[in-house]
Amino acid sequence: MRTLAWRGVRNNLGRYVATLVAIITGVGFFTATTFVSDRVISSLEGDVDQQYGNVDAAVVLADSTADLSGDPGKDLKLSARQADRITSVPGVDGSAGLLTAPVAFPPRRGHPSAKAATGRLWIDDAELNPLELTSGRAPKGAGEVAVDRGLAESVDLKVGSRVKVATLAGAFDATVVGVTKFGSADALDQDGTVSVPAAAAFDWLNSGQREYQALYLRGSVDQAQLEREIKPLTPEGYTAQTGEQFLTDQRESTGAIGRYLKQALQAFALLALFVGAFVIYNTFSVIVAQRLRELAVLAAIGATPKQIKRSLRLEGLIIGLLGSALGVVAGLVLTFVLIAVLKAVGVELPGSGIKVGLAPVVQGILLGTVITFLSVNIPARRAAKTEPIEALRISAVDATSFSRRRKITAAVLVVLGAGGLVAGGSWAAIGFGALLLFVGVIVAGPFIALGGARLARPLMKPFGLEGRLAVDNVARNPGRTATTANALLIGVFLVTLVTAAGTSVKDFAVGELKKLQSADFIITSEGGSIDPQLQADFKRIDGVKAITPFRRETVTIDGKVARLSSGDIPAIQKVADLEFARGSAADLQPGTIAVTEADGGPRLGARVRVTDSTGKSQTLRVSALLAPTIDAQQIGALTAEPTFAGLVGRTAPTVAFLDVDSGAQTKTKDAIEARADQRPDITAEEGNVTGQLVSSIFDFVINAVNGLLGMSVIVALIGIINTLSLSILERRRELGLLRVVGMLDGRVQRMVRLESLVIAGLGTFAGIALGLFSAWALIFSIDRIAEADIGFSLPIGQTLLVLVLGLGLGLLAALIPARRSTRLDVLEAIQAT
Amino acid sequence: MVSQAVSTAAARAVDARKTYGEGDAVVHALAGVTVSFPVGRFTAIMGPSGSGKSTLMQCVAGLDRLTSGSAFIGDTDISTLSKTDLALLRRDRLGFIFQQYNLIPSLNARENALLPLTLAGREPEQAWFDEIIATVGLGERLKNLPSQLSGGQQQRVAVARALVPRPDIVFADEPTGALDSRSGAEILTFMRRAVDDSGQTIVMVTHDPHAASYADNVLFLADGQIVDEMPEPTTDRVLDRMKRFEV
Ligand SMILES: Nc1ncnc2c1ncn2[C@@H]1O[C@H](COP(=O)(O)OP(=O)(O)OP(=O)(O)O)[C@@H](O)[C@H]1O
Ligand SMILES: [Mg+2]
Repeated sequence: MRTLAWRGVRNNLGRYVATLVAIITGVGFFTATTFVSDRVISSLEGDVDQQYGNVDAAVVLADSTADLSGDPGKDLKLSARQADRITSVPGVDGSAGLLTAPVAFPPRRGHPSAKAATGRLWIDDAELNPLELTSGRAPKGAGEVAVDRGLAESVDLKVGSRVKVATLAGAFDATVVGVTKFGSADALDQDGTVSVPAAAAFDWLNSGQREYQALYLRGSVDQAQLEREIKPLTPEGYTAQTGEQFLTDQRESTGAIGRYLKQALQAFALLALFVGAFVIYNTFSVIVAQRLRELAVLAAIGATPKQIKRSLRLEGLIIGLLGSALGVVAGLVLTFVLIAVLKAVGVELPGSGIKVGLAPVVQGILLGTVITFLSVNIPARRAAKTEPIEALRISAVDATSFSRRRKITAAVLVVLGAGGLVAGGSWAAIGFGALLLFVGVIVAGPFIALGGARLARPLMKPFGLEGRLAVDNVARNPGRTATTANALLIGVFLVTLVTAAGTSVKDFAVGELKKLQSADFIITSEGGSIDPQLQADFKRIDGVKAITPFRRETVTIDGKVARLSSGDIPAIQKVADLEFARGSAADLQPGTIAVTEADGGPRLGARVRVTDSTGKSQTLRVSALLAPTIDAQQIGALTAEPTFAGLVGRTAPTVAFLDVDSGAQTKTKDAIEARADQRPDITAEEGNVTGQLVSSIFDFVINAVNGLLGMSVIVALIGIINTLSLSILERRRELGLLRVVGMLDGRVQRMVRLESLVIAGLGTFAGIALGLFSAWALIFSIDRIAEADIGFSLPIGQTLLVLVLGLGLGLLAALIPARRSTRLDVLEAIQAT
Repeated sequence: MVSQAVSTAAARAVDARKTYGEGDAVVHALAGVTVSFPVGRFTAIMGPSGSGKSTLMQCVAGLDRLTSGSAFIGDTDISTLSKTDLALLRRDRLGFIFQQYNLIPSLNARENALLPLTLAGREPEQAWFDEIIATVGLGERLKNLPSQLSGGQQQRVAVARALVPRPDIVFADEPTGALDSRSGAEILTFMRRAVDDSGQTIVMVTHDPHAASYADNVLFLADGQIVDEMPEPTTDRVLDRMKRFEV
């Protein structure tokens, strides 16, 4: 049997090419996505080790994700006094304070233009310093800086360069004394790192305050002991961790992106493999049908059904192993291509090189082989069941008929599935309904193929005999047509579902957000202030009606990081959407506070403890509640001036709401942003930008998902090419005959193209119909269960695009088979058996 | 008399040679055949297996090309025609009947019989079509698919298909080879009638002396050359002639 299987593979290698291509594509995608995400994960985690590997204990923000947008936790800092107390604990050998703030290089004549970067306090402790000098020396005196390798290149700097550095505190003259790198990468920060020595860092980066954002320690005692000892010294809002805990947390949060990426990418790759299974199954079915006669001879001379089955399975196994192994190799190549393509479009993946792990290789080979083996089982069983006499009688063209049982099964599945999807009582029931519906449609494939062919018949009339014969061929073997079309259906279904459901949810979300009023722009200063000059500059911009600055500080309220603001409430209300849910502005007397209304938040009349970054604290009574509007998020909690001053001191305003003439928003935007860009600490953000942001995020996700679904569509394309090629091989005599009696080659080819078009049309139409229905049902069910009122929006444009692409794919798939259909000599063709 | 009617030849070959392979393995399937097939006549080609019968027919019918020499359909030298022109020539001027698998499985009997006309975009002459269908006795079976017809019935459809467009010449390669003797006799009778009643020209390759006896003239081929011919053949005389090859 083993020789027989080998011969089977060898003699039919031509027919197996498509199977191999399908396996290779699927396995290739799988391994490539694994390689890429493994590289990202290992590089991200490696970065963490590089950065924090020597940390034995750390004092970091307790809950850096506490507040909503803007990362206000960054504002809460450790004072030098607090830091000193911690670092003087016995057993601490070295320490590093984290302090970062935006800096920029203003334009210099004759050099590349200005560039914003991150200013960092240079860490003198060599073991805790994540950066490495590639040339020059460490910055020491005020006015000395080190820049990273990337910046050095992009802003044209080298050791000895004299340059102006724009900071929160103004522009300073600096000399570059060193160039740094971070592991295998240039910089630790996304847009470059400028290292500033302690002598200047506090002035440049933190308006003169000696404060740190976090503190990392190196010690000579046990990590746990160190943590225990510094714990009592850790201020509110901060937490002490052992180096190990800290490293795990950092690795987790940093590597998490990579791991999500891996799961998502692999899901799509598995989908491609799943679609590949249809192609593989189909190819084997066709090959077995075509070889029935050969198999019958085997049976006639005494091979048992079991032997035949085993021989075919062995063939499947050989093909599966071969394809999977080649797939892994293809995956490796694909990885390089992917990285290169991403690089070309400007996405530089972190890390370098590819680590070929054993796991993805084994997984890829295993997956491909198992899927192939499973796909070959049904045809193998069918072949073994065929009586020898029957097989000898069967003509080369295999025709299958479908049982009533199949019809009933399909109908039941579709009805139950659709019912579950529309009326299911729980998410599980709805999900199960979707699955049943999908399986039902796959089972109903042959009937859909027949029905579709019937519908296509009148459409093909204008194409005359070719159109007629093309439809006949599609309908001749509905099972095979269905399997081919199903591979495409899966991709089209998912693309339509994602697009339609995603668009509906997006439209709903954006609509809801648009209902919310907000200030037109929010100007924030990170580390600086909104000084009168700046206010005047903004006010001078054409279209700006009013600017209302207010003071804001990050504090902890009952231990939770929060924003505390103070300002001219009527003036704020004029430009922003600030409303009192309970109480009014008049209730804000000294010693009281207004907090944003939230479930589980402080109630009216409650007493809350507010602590500022220096540890000063005060207990305030909640005298009013703010309605949770978009602008309320910016404000956080509100107090009267004296209370604020008592807590934080008399600081300058750091935030401002800006009101522009209605309709002038887009016009003034450029001018406002241009002014903001002149100072590194100022950011101007559009108030109702959330709506646009949400909309663009949805668009990005929908497009990215659809792009990835493209993998499965490519496999489906191979499936169509394959089925057509095999069917042409099987019909070569018939095609020859048509040509003998005078069908010109051009018309024969057109017939093949039309056939492909009909098959692709079947898969596309069915996929779109199923996708739209599922999307509608899903939205309907979400509304029903979650009592939402998301409307179903039909994405007409995208749907048409999918339709056109699907049909285009059909024509594309026909290119090779059409050419092949007339490649044979007429004479050879009619002499074929 | 028959062989001299060159001016009214429906098809002919002049010093036709066809070789396969090279060097030691070279096979001369046709080794210089000059022949003509007169209009309105039924010509049979006989000879031992491998003598070049099919090759000769295929080359004259434009299905294959000669290695040297030339072949004509009427006055058209087909060795100069392009692939497309050959296809058009076959469609418009020739009819074919093969041993089996003559029909397109997805077209019914009627559609198969009309296939060359459909391809050419020509309308069938209804009376003529009805007459042929009546002759071959297919009336009730016109709507059936080939798979629903017996081998003999399928072959009748093939004959009808070859005759309906009134081609200049019908080529048949062992049309009765796969049939039992009764069905075979029926097919041969139809072909004979087409020649007698409407002056159809037919060239038929056969192994069967009885089939050859339906022809007006029999050409004998051996080793790629015409070695004999027999006008007004009878089964017995053909059989005798064939026996001589075996010695
Ligand atoms: N494609 C080919 N390649 C090589 N040799 C060929 C080819 N076709 C035919 N021949 C050879 O040419 C010779 C003539 O073949 P042809 O088919 O014309 O014989 P035939 O008289 O029709 O025989 P049969 O009665 O068996 O059908 C044979 O020797 C055959 O082997
Ligand atoms: Mg022959």
